[in-house]
Parts: sequence; structure tokens; C-alpha cells
Amino acid sequence: MRREFRKNKNVKYLIFLILIFIILGVPSYIWTRKNVTTLAGRYNSPMSPIIMIPGSSATANRFDDLVKTINNQYGEHHSLLKMTVHTDGKITYTGKVRANDNQPFIVVGFENNNDGYSNIKKQAAWFNIAFNKLKQRYRFNTFNAFGHSNGGLIWTYFFEDYFDDSSISVNHMLTVGTPYNFEEKNTANRTQMLHELIKNRDKIPTDLTYYSIAGTQLYTDDGIVPLGSVDAGKYIYEGHIKRYTLITLTGSKAQHSDMIDSEQFINIFHQYVVDNGMNQTPNKKVPKP
Amino acid sequence: MQVQFNNKFEEKLIHLTLKIQKLLLYRIIQRTLLLIFPFALFGSFIKIIQTIVLGKEGFLTDVFPTIDNDFIYRLLENIANGLYNLSLGWVSVIAVFGAAKYSAKYFNRDDQLAGITGISSFLIVDYSYSKIQPISFHPQILGMRGLLFAILWGIFVGWLFKKCSKQIPVTQSNNNVLERTFISLKPIIFSLLIAMLFSTFINITYYSEAPGNFINSLASEYTNNNDWSQLFKTLIFSIYTLIMSFFGWSGTYSALGVEKMDVLSTANLNYALEKHTAWNAPNPFTSSTLYHAFATFGGTGSILGLIIAILIISKNKDFQTVARWAMIPSIFNISGGVMTGIPILFNVIFLIPFILAPIANMLMAAVAIALHLMPPSVYPVPIGTPGPLIAFIGTNGSWRALIFSILAVVISTLIYIPFVKMAAKVKTLDDLGLEEGVK
Repeated sequence: MRREFRKNKNVKYLIFLILIFIILGVPSYIWTRKNVTTLAGRYNSPMSPIIMIPGSSATANRFDDLVKTINNQYGEHHSLLKMTVHTDGKITYTGKVRANDNQPFIVVGFENNNDGYSNIKKQAAWFNIAFNKLKQRYRFNTFNAFGHSNGGLIWTYFFEDYFDDSSISVNHMLTVGTPYNFEEKNTANRTQMLHELIKNRDKIPTDLTYYSIAGTQLYTDDGIVPLGSVDAGKYIYEGHIKRYTLITLTGSKAQHSDMIDSEQFINIFHQYVVDNGMNQTPNKKVPKP
Repeated sequence: MQVQFNNKFEEKLIHLTLKIQKLLLYRIIQRTLLLIFPFALFGSFIKIIQTIVLGKEGFLTDVFPTIDNDFIYRLLENIANGLYNLSLGWVSVIAVFGAAKYSAKYFNRDDQLAGITGISSFLIVDYSYSKIQPISFHPQILGMRGLLFAILWGIFVGWLFKKCSKQIPVTQSNNNVLERTFISLKPIIFSLLIAMLFSTFINITYYSEAPGNFINSLASEYTNNNDWSQLFKTLIFSIYTLIMSFFGWSGTYSALGVEKMDVLSTANLNYALEKHTAWNAPNPFTSSTLYHAFATFGGTGSILGLIIAILIISKNKDFQTVARWAMIPSIFNISGGVMTGIPILFNVIFLIPFILAPIANMLMAAVAIALHLMPPSVYPVPIGTPGPLIAFIGTNGSWRALIFSILAVVISTLIYIPFVKMAAKVKTLDDLGLEEGVK
């Protein structure tokens, strides 16, 4: 039997196999040893949600149509989770994140969705509760941010006062008609809020890419928010984050509340918020025949 | 030819296999698999380059320095994608051609036209009503996943040819192309129209997000704190994955390592990063500690064990050639070559070890983890890491895990050996690889 085995000419293949494993094993051993120490920043969660905050007096249902349009227009299947944070910090959920959805939409709305700086501070604190819940539940380590109107203010306040970017990073942020200086047209007159947001800007993650959209009808405002107020965001972001871009949207649907239905906006939204970085879903790769 | 049986079980299994091999359906399937073998083999070599060298989370991209030049990287990536997509990536199209051709030939109908009709109608079924690209197909169905469907579709087309057209006249003088075309016109039109119906149906269900999500959501969302029920769940999903792979589909767990981290594995990793050790991780029996670390050596079904078994004991030339060729992709857990070349897909004899070997390995690993003989693998492992090294890397280089991995290779080899012998006996009695296999 043994002699037969020795005569077997496949022995050289088996030896070759063993050699390959050893050759591949040594460098990978060294690599793991080196790697584990820096693992915290590396581990790869497939999920990168798009977290959205509606503006004042809008509920978590504000973006239902937007999500539907994105799914239909681009043939994608993002799921939608809506959270409403109540004034006592309790959260109610509607919808769900589908299990293998790597880019779900998550909308965080508030029971108290009133305007005003004091409310925005409170809403940022409520948002922080919701955000921590999400982080704990879905364990993602990157996300994209979207804010409509005051939603952008909540994001900014959240980044400055609550966000800890050591374990989680925000890729892109897009806001629409965010009034960094409230109704004030002239950026020389800074409101208390703008003043404080600028003062604390150092805490905003520096690797953020931010697109701010301002709508204009007749050159000055979108019907509610003056162009100057949106533009004032540059004093907070410009020169601090990686990229800051201001986009001015005009045309038939450039009104403050209509903008998120506009075709232009949906293109921009898809390009900058949905279609970046984490596009690893295999069914997206459609081979050309 | 006479063959000696070692025991009752062997005799029964071989007789059962021989009986099944007599079935037309089975013969067509096996012939078709041999037809796609060269493409599957070529594709699996390309797949090595794709996932291991070029892939973002690939094995060698992490271990060895990356290609810095963006242009060269893109170029290589595109070349590899093209080669892969049109070899292993579209084996189903080749399969439908083969199946339609062989079945039409069996019924004495025009096999060329049947094969081509098979391809067209299959591509119509797979046609995706994309909103972005003018001509595109659902890529999953073109690859291994669509194999069973493709073969059945091909046989259906062959059967349509039998039902709707006359026999091809045998005399040479009558055998002109135009006449043949008109004889086959009816089944061609029927196949294409029926394909269109299917296609519409598939696209409607696809865009209503129906398929596939159910099992996936079960596998990743349902979490249980009890270790033993967790073990049970992992085993069930492994068996499901194995059976699915046996039919060319893919189950819940991918063979190519952990692409996605589920909640339990993430909890494990967080624990390990905090405590700086993998010992006593909170979820010892997850898919990544058992299935990915111990049951996928050489690809789904512990194929590496089969290859070693063939190299050690088999005297069959065909088996040996396939094993030698498929050895290299198998090192990186890419099993397309062996699956179609031996073939393992749909092969009754190999169904048992194909499920048994991985399960045995997983149980061994579970026992070893439960008895604290080795830590569970919790650290991320790059895609395409050679099977026996997965646990080693996943435990941050635990030598005990490596020893158990080697033990797992031995176990799966031992499980495969008797079945390799049986397969060789079946082959001497009734070789489907020979040309008269169909007909």
C-alpha cells in the first residue's frame, strides 16, 4: 500500500498544494498580526444608510414620495424606516429596514416640530437619541445625511454638539433650503444661532462633503428662505470640511417646499446622496451584452 | 463490466445512481454540465484575479501591496470583468444551448436551431426591463444560479421542437437549410412567445421586490441569545445553502467568505476589539465562526476534500485531470470547475458527502469551541482567503484553530474517499461522458 502511494504521481500535486498553503499562510499571518491592532477603523459593515431629517412642521412621512420616486426612477429597492421622537424621548417606528438592504432610507421626525432656535436645539438632542438607537441596532459605520430646511440646522447642531466621529463617519451631506441665518437676508446681520454655529464649527467632522441647495425665485429667495440665509452656511462649513458646494436651483419647482419634487433636485439627490461610495450591491452591476 | 461492491449501502447507492442515470432528463443534465465545464474552469481562474487581487476586500489586496496606478487598475478590472462575465458569468446561456440541442437531437429534430432558439428564448426570459440601460439582463440568472432553470428551459425548447415540428428528413438531398428552417419555424415562434410571457412575469415580480428577501431576512434578522439554538440555526441554513448549491443556486451563505457582517458577528468583533482576545466571544456559533471558517474549504461543500481524495486514490483519468486543473481556483474557495467537471452538480453520489463533509466539519468546530479548545474566529477575513487559513486569520493567528482546520481537511477528505471510489465504479458501468451518453 505504501509503495503504491509513493508511486502515485499525484503526490507532487499534493505537495504543491501544501506548499501553496504555507506560502500563502506566512504573509497572511504577519498581516493579521499587524492588522488587528488597527481593526477598529477597518471593519466592514455593508450598510450605509441615508438618514433624513424633515423641516419644521413636517412629519416623518415628509419624504415618502421622494423615496418612492427614487426607487421607481432608478429601479432601486431602498427600504424606508420612519422614526418619530416624542418629547419624552420615546421613539415610535413605522416601516422597516429590509434585511439585505445596504442603503436604506431612515427618516427621523419629531413630535415637536416647531421652528425656532430653542426648538432646534431640542430637536438635535432628540435626534441624538434616535441616532444612537440606530447605531446600536444596525451597526453601520458610514452614512449619508439629508436635511430639508430646518433639518439641515438640526444636522449642523447635532454634528457640533453630539456627534462622535471616532467610530462612525458621515460621507456626504445634502441639504435643501437650510436657513443658517433664519429669515435674515443680509449675512452681515448674524442671528444668535448662526453666531453660535460658527463658533462651534471645529467639532464638525472634517472629512465631510457637503452640498447645500438653495432655491431661488426672482433672484432673492425660494418664497420662504432668502438666498443669503442659505449662503450663510459657508461661514460654518467652508474651509473646515473637505468640500463645500452651494447649488442654486431655479425653475418652476424652486419654491421652498416644492423643491424636493423637482426633477433637478431628484437628480442631484441621487447623484450625491444615493449613488456614492458604498455601491456594492451586486444586482446593480448590469453587464452590457 | 463487472464491479465488486464493498458493502450493501454501496451496492444500493450505485444501483440507484445507475437507475437515475437512465433517465433522459438526467443524461441531458450531465452532458450539458460537461459542455460548460471549460467555460466554468476558465471563469474560475479569472474569478481568482477578480476577487483576490482586484477586489476591494480581497485576500491578496490586503496581504500584498495594492496596484496604485488607477489607470492600470481600471484596465485590469475591466478586462477581468469582461472575461468573467462571458465565461463563468453566463454559463446558463451555454447550458440552455446544450440542453436544447441534446434534447432536440434525442427527438430527431433540428438540434442546431433548437440550441439557438434556446439561447434566444432564455435571454428573452432573462431580459431586464431596465430604466437605465437599453439592453440588459438580470445577471444572476445568467451565471451558475440560473443553471437548473436554464437546463429545464432548454429541455422544454427541445420538447417544443418535438411537439410542433416534423422529424428532419434523413436523406441528404432534401437536407437543405431553408427547408429545415421552415420545418422548425413553429417551435421557434412558440418558444420566443412563451419566453416573452415568462419575461413579463419575472420583471413584474422582480420590480415588486418579491424574490429572495424572505430567506435572507430570516437568516440575518432573526437572532437568538441561546447558543444552542444559534448553532441549530446555523446548521439549518448551512444545509439549505448546500442543497441549493447542489442545484447550482446559491443559498443564504456565500462561498466566497464573509462579504457582509451580520449583527452577531459584529457583536463578536466588537467584543474582541474591546477585550483584545477572541476567547469567550458572545456568539460562538454564527455562520462566520462555523460555516465560513470550517465548511467552505475549496468552495461550498468542502470541495478541497474531494480534490485531495481524488488525487490520493482515484485512478480515473477524467477525475484526475479535472482535479488537477481545478486545484488552484479551489485553493481560493472557487469551485466552479469541479462542480461542472466531475460533475458534482445534480450528481446523486456526491450529494451525500457534499452535505455531510461541511456539516461534520462544522460540528467538529462547534465541539472544539464549546470545549474551549480553540477560540471562535471573529476577526474579519478577506474574501478568497484559502479555506484552511480562514479560521487561522479569523482568530488572529491562533495555532489551535490552524490545527483544527487541518483536521477539518482530513475529515472532509476521509468522507469523500468512499464516494470517489463509488463514482469511479458508476463511471465504469455507465459513462455519461462518452458521446453516446445522450441518444
